[in-house]
Amino acid sequence: MSGINVIEKERTLIVNPLKTCQPLGAMYAVMGVHHGLPMVHGSQGCSTFVRYNFARHFREPAEIAVSSLHEDAAVFGGRKNINAGIKNLALRFKPDLIGAITTCSSEIIGDDVFGFVDTTKKELKEMSQEVKGLDKIEVIPIPTPSFVGNHFTGYDIGVKSLVDALAEPGEPTEKVNLIPGMVNPGDIREIKHILALLGIEGLLLTDTSDPFDSPLRPSVTPTEPYFPKGGTSVDEIRDSANSQGTIALCKYAGSGANSLEKKYDVPAIIESPPIGLQNTDQFLRNLKKLTDCEIPDSILDERGMLVDLIADNAARYLFDRKVAIYGDPDMTTGMARFVGELGMEPTMVCTGANSKTFAPDMEKISKETGCDIDVLFEQDMRSFEVYVKENPVDLMIGPSDGRLLAQNLGIPLIRVGFPVYDRIGYHRHPIVGYNGAARLMELITNSVLEKYYEPSHWKLQQ
Amino acid sequence: MPYKLFDVDEDIPERKKHTYVKHCSDPEDCMPSCNTKTVPGSMSERGCAFAGAKGVITGALKDVVHVVHSPVGCTYYAGGTKRYPTSPDMPDGSKFPIENFNLKYVCGTDLMESDVVFGGMKKLRQSLIDAAQEFPEATAIYSYATCTTGLIGDDMDAVAKELTAELGKDVVAFNAPGFAGPSQSKGHHIANHTIFDRLVGTQEPPSTTPYDIGLIGEYNIDGDLWILESYFKEMGLRILSRFSGDSTHNEICFMHRAKLNLVRCQRSATYIADLIKEKYDVPYINVDFFSTEYCAENLRTIGKYFGREKEAEKVIGDRMAKVAPELEIYKEKLQGKKVYIFSGGPKSWHLATPLEKELGMDVTAVASQFEHEDGYVKMKKRVKEGALIVDDPNSMELEEMISKDRPDLILAGIKEKYMAHKLGVPTIMIHSYENGPYIGFEGFLNLAKDMYSYIYNPIWSMLEFEENPAGSEEDEGLTESLETPNQVEMGK
Repeated sequence: MSGINVIEKERTLIVNPLKTCQPLGAMYAVMGVHHGLPMVHGSQGCSTFVRYNFARHFREPAEIAVSSLHEDAAVFGGRKNINAGIKNLALRFKPDLIGAITTCSSEIIGDDVFGFVDTTKKELKEMSQEVKGLDKIEVIPIPTPSFVGNHFTGYDIGVKSLVDALAEPGEPTEKVNLIPGMVNPGDIREIKHILALLGIEGLLLTDTSDPFDSPLRPSVTPTEPYFPKGGTSVDEIRDSANSQGTIALCKYAGSGANSLEKKYDVPAIIESPPIGLQNTDQFLRNLKKLTDCEIPDSILDERGMLVDLIADNAARYLFDRKVAIYGDPDMTTGMARFVGELGMEPTMVCTGANSKTFAPDMEKISKETGCDIDVLFEQDMRSFEVYVKENPVDLMIGPSDGRLLAQNLGIPLIRVGFPVYDRIGYHRHPIVGYNGAARLMELITNSVLEKYYEPSHWKLQQ
Repeated sequence: MPYKLFDVDEDIPERKKHTYVKHCSDPEDCMPSCNTKTVPGSMSERGCAFAGAKGVITGALKDVVHVVHSPVGCTYYAGGTKRYPTSPDMPDGSKFPIENFNLKYVCGTDLMESDVVFGGMKKLRQSLIDAAQEFPEATAIYSYATCTTGLIGDDMDAVAKELTAELGKDVVAFNAPGFAGPSQSKGHHIANHTIFDRLVGTQEPPSTTPYDIGLIGEYNIDGDLWILESYFKEMGLRILSRFSGDSTHNEICFMHRAKLNLVRCQRSATYIADLIKEKYDVPYINVDFFSTEYCAENLRTIGKYFGREKEAEKVIGDRMAKVAPELEIYKEKLQGKKVYIFSGGPKSWHLATPLEKELGMDVTAVASQFEHEDGYVKMKKRVKEGALIVDDPNSMELEEMISKDRPDLILAGIKEKYMAHKLGVPTIMIHSYENGPYIGFEGFLNLAKDMYSYIYNPIWSMLEFEENPAGSEEDEGLTESLETPNQVEMGK
């Protein structure tokens, strides 16, 4: 009887964290709003580090402002800073929306960001007599201290804050709200592609695909100030109260969906991300449940192509290979289920963050795959390293943070998740949906071929 | 008036005094206002004091385990430092068991809400003990305050002192919380003083020679240090202590025994050179190894100091013979190209003159995120009439400059790089480099090569779709006059 063995961190020290702070997630959510700007209420590092991380992962600009808290604010409070910061942003950038994101420092000094934002909004209204449009700028407080939660709880709070502040009941629409989670532009585009095949109009909360993968076209790229194309408009977010339903494509980001259900009776479905065959099937069933749409042949053909790919190759090249997976809880459970579908064994899964659904999900996958799974829960990259050294695996799956370990141990690393900074293009291609699964299958199989078949080249002879 | 208000700064007129246009007739003290707090919401490129301490000064040491006393975010970000490679070689001839230890591991206390309420001292203590256990090979443990610990008031020095005795290795606390000072520069300052107060003079080197130099403010970005090291070795000089690229904890402790200190990054590390001079009477000279001319000039000065003029000339001659012919080729191509240098600290003044004099480029704007007055004095000296000097630039200003002035190339950081690309201007990372090292003779050639490959990348001439490209009717396919890097002799 297969099962999971949960291994928790024994030391107090955290070594090479597998999670980061709430503000990063909130900034990510705000970056998915059309002409939306995150404004971090904290020290300068709070914006700089996140900009650096986004820039190296997406190779795109990430315009994130900061209220520049210093010693005086630590003593007297940061009201002046956030007030001036929002007004400067409003006057100079004229964005549609500003997310006022709190940090450790602003939370500890006890700044009442909600109150400050209210005051600032009043001032913007007064100023709008001289500068038109300032009163139209939405300013949304988002409370995200880093000593609580992690980057994806910050994303969850970000999406919920946007929805709570903006959603307005009106005429019911045929739209479906989707909370994509902290995924890549390629994933969001794949989700849109699936919706298009099903004839469903989606409303993404929020859509980071174009802002984080934007064309280089100097003649049309709006300058002064630079805003990337795309993102979900403020009006669309308002309209989210009138959709047929909301699907959160990750179990950690369902608060916005729950909130819409509670306030406006928009049914909420909170599921694992559609990584792999069965999870994508489930996504289609969920969409059908909400909209009663037909499942057209076109998408079943895409599914069939994936099935064909797996049928042709998995048994020969992948069967029985051991895989260690690390990263965000939802990504890792998705990946574990998928490698199980390929006939591989997810022998170890490591996640840095707390998630209630993680262990039950892994339990389920263990039963499905018949594989005993060691679950490193709320652990770090160091625990992963120590484990893998003692319990060798054939493949590693996770973000770039494992690259040096993979190199040392000579284990192929399939780069998935955030951040991936030592390869290019990974944010542009999906890991979700049937197409994403096909691409993952190719990446995994080709890595196996290179590592385990090429050394004895005759094995590659057909 | 020598100051300039950008159009985009209409609503934050205080920015005017941070933007100076050089006029040769201006009095010397006329320069941009600096080292003041950033205007909130102005999308500055600055980092925090914690970034200055861990990210710049101490993160380059090869045998120290770093424990960030913070909620998870600061620890996570402290892992993504610049490219500071380290070798396993230790001063006593032994090998450190983990190569690039500094790039591989970063530790933290992962503070939670309850720690914020009840204090994080217990957690810090246990974490430091854990760190000693997890990495027994580490020579010392450095621990860092962040905004959170600064605000809850944990007495990190007390814990560090206690554990130094208990663990039998140095445990040092760096009290540079993110909100300290206007920029990362404050973190450099605090780290220099902490290291001097706590470590310098606490050990004696295994051996000394009359030719021992201390190299201060050299962080081995992309291997910079290793280039300089080869020059000194050939000149018969020994680097006794490095501060802090590829350095060790012990080297820092005996850095007071150098015969002469050379200060490379004069923004981040002059502090410690001054302190050592004052207390231990070790003289220092400011050095400049960017570009071939500065490099030669400085090697001669150092050679003269130690009576090694001949050896210095040999190093210069050997290197010039290697790089000069290729540099000539790039000079021809880079001639007249308009370039901005938007560095963090001093590279703006290091590189301005060499790019103009040695490569014929046109430096029309320089900037720094955290420079102080002494740096701007040098910057002002080294740029030509009419050049713009911007203190703590923000992204809208850069956009305005790009759209009005259309530079051919920008040297800046990763945060500016991709936006400049969207506006059609190639950008080279000057903080961590692209394909460095950029220091010394070979490094200057690398920089020239990178500048050439960016400016002449064929893509910049194909940014827009053209329905009727010029000459499309006469020539089908590729025209011969099309100049691509592939057609240029690379001189190899």
